[in-house]
Amino acid sequence: MSGPGVENPRTTSARDAEFSALALPHLQAVSRIARALVQNDSDADDLVQETYLRAYRYWHTFDRATDCKRWLATICRNAFYDFKNAEGAVSSVEPEELESLAAVRVHKAAIEAGLGDMYARLDLGPAIMKAISALDPAFRAVVVLSDIEEFSYDEIASALGIPVGTVRSRLYRARRLLQEALMVYGLDAGFASASNSKMGNAK
Amino acid sequence: MNEQLNREDCEAVVQRLWPHLDGMLPDSDRERVIQHLESCAACQSHFDFAKAFLEAVAAAQPEETPNPALLERVLKALSGEGFAR
Repeated sequence: MSGPGVENPRTTSARDAEFSALALPHLQAVSRIARALVQNDSDADDLVQETYLRAYRYWHTFDRATDCKRWLATICRNAFYDFKNAEGAVSSVEPEELESLAAVRVHKAAIEAGLGDMYARLDLGPAIMKAISALDPAFRAVVVLSDIEEFSYDEIASALGIPVGTVRSRLYRARRLLQEALMVYGLDAGFASASNSKMGNAK
Repeated sequence: MNEQLNREDCEAVVQRLWPHLDGMLPDSDRERVIQHLESCAACQSHFDFAKAFLEAVAAAQPEETPNPALLERVLKALSGEGFAR
């Protein structure tokens, strides 16, 4: 049995090659996830480094039948909680159904403001990334994992260590906050379509 | 009466807006939503708007630009654990 410092060089070499092939390609994704969890780039880079150190130390526990990016996301979340030692307060979330209804209200408000077609008409990429950055970290994490990294509800729940119901609540709330922020952006930037605008007739 | 029933149906359908767009509805609910949307332009427009939003978010992430400095930093830290490139 090999102890620390007496590993078989050939085994170590194979492990490192496998780690390079499976884990390192997800550096950018892990970096995005880290930035969703923490407020600044410096902390995010610390979190990325810690994630990869832990992943390397516990590489023998990685189930090759599973997705490495999702495994790294879970490690990143654990490292984040260890760094912060607490998740922090999250503002209360309305029931999921109400959040879906709120999405409809946002759409109606967008139509009334002449922004009903804003996603087709405008390049909102930079505004969306800015709005995501401004979200509370708990909301930011779920929206990044869902809508950018394409994790399922169950995968987000597993990665963040929260119930699926909480994933849904935070995700729908985050989307509403983003939609509202984008509408404000559209109005501030003067993008409201005059022909569609019914601001004066809003019910 | 029909209008009342339809309004209730609209509310039930839009409550499922996000789960439907995320592909998370059970089959029976999904069929009900799809059938309703086929005959309700108002609800369909809400779903279209939300779908356009999700597509905009998915497309908002800038092109993947490798971060050589971060990669170098991680590799250096890993080498302290015995990792060999």
